This record gives sequence, C-alpha cells and structure tokens, in this order.
Amino acid sequence: MGLTSGLFIGLMIIAALASTAVTVWLWPRFAAQRVEAVAARLGLIGVSQVLTIAAILVFINGYFAFFGSWSSLFGSGQSPPAPAAGVVASSRPILVTGADLGPVPGGSALPVQVDGRLAAKPPHVSAPAPGSANLAMVPGLKSGLGAAMRSVGQVLQITVRGEHTGISSYSNYVYLPPQYFQPAYAHARFPVVLVLTGYPNDPWSIVKRLAVPGTSARMVADGQIRPAVYVMMNVSVALPRDTECTNVPQGPQAETFLAQDVPLAVERAFRVQAGRAGWAVLGYSTGGYCAAKLAMLNPYQFSAAVSMAGYYTAIKDNTTGNLYGGSRSFQNENNLDWRLAHLPAPPVSVLVTSSRVGERGLPATLAFLHRIRPPMRGYSLILSQGGHNYGTWIRQLPQSLVWLNQRLAPAAPVVPTARGGPSAHPGSSSVRG
Amino acid sequence: MGLTSPGLVVVLAIVAAGLLGAVLWWWPRLAGPGLRPVLARVAALGALQLIVLGLIFVIVNNTAEFYSSWSDLAGDQAGGGAIVAGKYHASSRQAPAPSVAPVTVSTSSGIALPGHRRAAAGGRLQTVRIHGALSGLSIPGYVYLPAGYSDRSARLPVVVAVSEHLDSAGDPYSASRLADAAARQIGAGHLEPLILVVLPAQTGPDDQGCLDVPGSTQAATLFAQDLPQAIGTAYRAAAPAMRRWALLGDSAGGYCALQLAMTNSQNYAAAAVPPGDYTGPPGPAENGGSRQIRAQENLAWLLRHQPMQPISVLFTGPGPTEPFASRARPPMHVGQSGLATGPWRLAGVLDWLGGALRQPAAAVRS
Repeated sequence: MGLTSGLFIGLMIIAALASTAVTVWLWPRFAAQRVEAVAARLGLIGVSQVLTIAAILVFINGYFAFFGSWSSLFGSGQSPPAPAAGVVASSRPILVTGADLGPVPGGSALPVQVDGRLAAKPPHVSAPAPGSANLAMVPGLKSGLGAAMRSVGQVLQITVRGEHTGISSYSNYVYLPPQYFQPAYAHARFPVVLVLTGYPNDPWSIVKRLAVPGTSARMVADGQIRPAVYVMMNVSVALPRDTECTNVPQGPQAETFLAQDVPLAVERAFRVQAGRAGWAVLGYSTGGYCAAKLAMLNPYQFSAAVSMAGYYTAIKDNTTGNLYGGSRSFQNENNLDWRLAHLPAPPVSVLVTSSRVGERGLPATLAFLHRIRPPMRGYSLILSQGGHNYGTWIRQLPQSLVWLNQRLAPAAPVVPTARGGPSAHPGSSSVRG
Repeated sequence: MGLTSPGLVVVLAIVAAGLLGAVLWWWPRLAGPGLRPVLARVAALGALQLIVLGLIFVIVNNTAEFYSSWSDLAGDQAGGGAIVAGKYHASSRQAPAPSVAPVTVSTSSGIALPGHRRAAAGGRLQTVRIHGALSGLSIPGYVYLPAGYSDRSARLPVVVAVSEHLDSAGDPYSASRLADAAARQIGAGHLEPLILVVLPAQTGPDDQGCLDVPGSTQAATLFAQDLPQAIGTAYRAAAPAMRRWALLGDSAGGYCALQLAMTNSQNYAAAAVPPGDYTGPPGPAENGGSRQIRAQENLAWLLRHQPMQPISVLFTGPGPTEPFASRARPPMHVGQSGLATGPWRLAGVLDWLGGALRQPAAAVRS
C-alpha cells in the first residue's frame, strides 16, 4: 500500500476516528476515581491522540509530497549507487514510466479550456506497456494528440539512469510545452530548465504545488516567456539520505549525476538544446543550494541558476551523514561562499530569492550575493514577507521564469521567408558542436 | 499573537495541559448514559486533539519556519518583488581576474616531413599557455596543428598528451617528437588529421595525477572543464561530447590520463597509458586527509565500484595490466600493444588513438 495512496490515507483517518469512537464508547467503564481507571483514561486518550497525529502526518505528507514512497522514507534496504562489477550501463538513460497523468495542474487557468479531471496525485503505478522506454514509443506522443496536450503540453513521469554514475532516480517528471508537438517546432530544439525539489520532497510537488508546468504554459500563452522543456527532479538521489548534490567520496556521485548524466540523458531522449546557452537550473530550499552549486561547478553545462530560499554553505547533519569523506577541505569546496572567496568566479548568472520577514536565510543570502564578482553575475528577488513555503515560491516563480527566459537561447520555429519557402533558424550555437 | 511568537507556544501548552487535566478529572461527570454526555465526550476529546495538534504545528513551524505569519498561512500574501542586479563591490578583497584569452600562443614553428621540401609540410607546433577560467590554473604546453589546418573547416579530433618530459627533445613523449610522429602518420595516411595538445604531468605544486586536490590545486577541473572549453574556443576542435577527445600519458602522466578517462568519460573516449596497476596517484597523496577520497583515487577501486565507463584503454608496452584487463566489460574496452623501436616509438599508439576516435559513438558503446 503506497504511502501517498488514497486508500492508505483513508485507512489512517478511519483508524483515528475509530479510536476516538472507542474512547467515547468505553468512557463509562473507567469513570471510577481510582489510579488504574485514571491510567486507563490516559491510555485511551493517548492512543486516539497518536492515531490522529499519524493520520494528519500521512495526510500532510501526501499534501506537501515530502516522501513519495515507503522506500524513500525508510530506504530500500540497499545502497543503490553501487552496482556489482561488470554491470553494463543502460543504453536507455530515460525510461518513461507514466504518460497519462491527466491535465497539467494549473492548466485550467489557461485561456483554452481543457476537459478532464485534475490529477490529484502522482500515478506512480500508471506505467504504460513495457518496452515504452523510447519516447517515440510512448502512446499519444506520435499520434492522436489530445486537446489538452495541444493547449498546455504534457507531463511525463520518467526514470533517469545515470550512465556515468550508475545512479537511478525514479518518479521524476518532464514537462513538454504544447509547442513541442506543433509542426512549426518539429525541428526546433528547446531550452531546458532543470527544476530541483527541496529535501525531503517528491518531484510531483513541482508539478502540483509549485505548478511549474501550469505557470509556464500560462505565461507562454500570454506571450511573457518563450516555451522551454522543464525537467523536474528529486534533489536527493539516495532517499532517505540528503545528498546535497555532492559527489560523496565512496558514495553516490550526486553532483555528476545531476550535472552530467541528467543533461546527457535528456539531450538524447528529447528535442532539446545541448550546451550551456540552452540549460538553466532552478530549485527551492535544498534545491536552491543545489541549483547555485550545480551552475557554479558546471558553468559549461548551465548558464543560469535560480536559488529560491536556498543556502550557500555545505551543511552536515543527521540526514546528510558524512558527505565530505571527513575532509574539511572537501567540505569547503562544496561551500559556495568559500568557493567565491578562494576560487575563480565562474561565468554564470544566479538569481537568489528570499523575504525580509519570514525567511531566516536572508542575511546569508545577501552575504552570498555580496561575494559574487565578475564574470559571475548575481541578482536578487526579495519579497517583503513570505515564509519557507510554496505560497512564497509561487509568488517568485513568474518573475524567475521571465529572468530565465532572458538568459536562455529560445527554440526557433520554422517561419515563412520572403521567398516563400520555410526556413529554420537554428537554435543557439551549441557548445558541444 | 503572532504565529511565530514564543508566547503562542506557551499559551497553547498551558491550555493543552489544563484541558488534559480537566478531562481526566471530570471524566466521571461525562460517563452517564444518553446523547448529551456522549456529545460532551466527543467535544472534549475533539477539543483536546485540536489543541495538541495546534501546539505541535506551532512548534514545528517555529523550528522550520515554514509560515512566517497568520496571513502567510492563510495565503493572503500576494504579489512579487523586484529583481535587482547585485552590485559588484570593487572594494572587496578579491579583485576580478582580468579577462585573458583561454590560450595564448608565444611561438609557432613548422614541422618538417621527410620527402617534402616545404618547411611546414607536417603542420605546425605552437608553444602555448593555457589559462583555466574555472580552475584558475595557468599552465605551459604545446599545441600541434596538422598540415592544412588553416585550409579546412572541419572540426578535428583532439589527443591530449600528459608528459613529464614535454620539453626535452630526446624523450619519445616530448612535444617535438610526438608532433613529428603525428605528422608522419598523418602524412602517410595512417592517422586522421588531429590536434595534439601536450601538457605537463604536474600542473601545480601539490598536483598529483590531475586530481582536484581538496581545497587546493583544481587539476581535474582544468582537464575536464577548462581544457575542452579553451581548446574548443581557440581552435577548430571537435566537441568532447562527440567522443572525439583522447588522452595519452607517459610514466608520469599515465595515472593522470587513465584517471581522467575513468572519471570524465563524457569528455574523454580513450586513453593510452603505460601498463601498471594504478592503485594511487604518483607522489605523496593529496586527499584532504580523507580515507574515502584516497580509496576513490585507487583506479582499481573505481573499476569495481562504478559502472563500466564507455572508454577504450590501451596499455602501451609489455607489463602488468591487472585488474583492468580481466575486469573490464563493455562498454569499456582494454587492449595492450608493444612499442615500436626507432625514433617513432609512439606511431602505432597514435594510430590506435586515431582509430578509437574515428569510430562513431554507437560503435564505441556497443
């Protein structure tokens, strides 16, 4: 039974209500003013209290998508990033595990009305027929495009297998804008924004709560930004561990996975640009730290980063464990403030967001901004008030997308020329040639 | 009272404790039969649940600071702010590095080819300095450009040679001898025209084997990120992602070359190195005092614990090749070759590297 399944949440709520009912039912039996009876009262109240809290926690976990599955909460019992010797890296770096996820959340605000129900939760088990590893084989992509897809685009659930790191990351999502399916863009390569969750967090929350696909679709329809592909990934590659996008010595090479394996896989599976001019990264909370870090450490892959309510030092706590091999120097290398003070500034643009009231990371964010020097460029978006929550980040998203739009090479549709024939503007010159 | 004020926690805690005590104490009063006592029990339990949940929520929210105020919680906050460009403070200690070209050429000389009268019939050899924008390292080296480089428009494959004796003309791994060998093999049609970059085996005071020394010399960053960018900007070089870059190492640069191929296979498709077990970098270890980082620097450990990388490795000359020869599985390939005698000892090795780079990506991966 899935941690976020409606059945499990329903059973938990029933258990909580039942325990309360039992307490009411048994109430008269423990009405004597004796020690044993008072202890029994306390026990009854305690049980119903614990069950109620558990039900609320499970419900909140589903609502905020902290943990998407039991294995991400408790671990799968084995360390994933250590394949046995001789394991051959998969030739299919991206596996589409779900294509029929319902209309894009937030898409109902679009000028074009779409029918159908709103997807309430990630259909973790809605895998299409086996063998649909290749995007071209996903039903509905090549033929029979529905009205929803044409108006707001499509969200696919994907598994990414890292060719170089051996890391596999499940239940991630990619959003293809409606233009991706239009004939004018049939040969256009789209820019990509890699969107990273916080920790702990399920990537579906980027689709549902932050509504990146819906917001992007609306802004493209309004002409505020140009279409882009959004790859929405879990920032942690070894849940329940918080890997902080670090190449952990003798552990998961999380930075290489997100900065090299993922772009390589996406570039092979989708019609997207290769190279820094067409790639940016955005994240919130832990994802914000990772967005800034991935861009700063890999400026030839990412040209811009948005760090929403991020932090800029290399943290170490109970959820991270020993990420730095016990080396102070290596921890420093993962500290973005230290990097700016001791290493050349990388040629990337970073937008940091925070709030004057409600975000205790504000001073550290401003200090980081203050350390940025050419050729790196820093920008800030500071709200007057807003806590560490989706409501705040939703307010920062439209401006962040406009800021990214100004820095990413656009997908060029085929436009009729004066001579009458079609002519394709090639996308930006790709660094990878 | 503010959502995040400490007073709220205290008030809620007192109310919860009081309510719990009251329920326990007046329990018998609600024990009677009939609808009203039952409703009263439900109400008492519900109130207790609510107040305890509220207390937990407020404590958790204060710890993690999810919601900063009641209006934040209710979602009443609206509107964004302004995006402001950060001002670079010229007064700060770290001045920006002056913008330098990634590659500066100091001299350029022709490579003669036996049987040809033109002085540069074999191409040109430049002495250069490469400036790593990310690593901050600036290292001297050589770049060999094949004959006809300036006439063609195609982007050429690149071989990066890592040598201890790049300046001493007598050494087979010296820049001039490597350039001569490459010119001869290209002229004879054995080797596709390529760019040969010859770099020193040590790029900084504590660099051992082109690793990123924690908190110090970022040699891996230089080779994996700066070098492809610099050579790709300054020369018509193929992009590394096209599987058109390879490494060549001598006895001092062998660990460097093999290590880079195994950890940056997205850039380097092949490496030719002297035989060896490669259990650690040459010279004193520079691993930031970390046992785990030292373990990773053992290439045999990498071979056992990371996926097989899509690279071709050639061991040049006779000698031990374990554990590489027996453990490698596709897409990794390991071979071994003898070395020719005479002045062009590395001619065959260059031919092999050229062959590894000529294959389309699909063939290398099969």
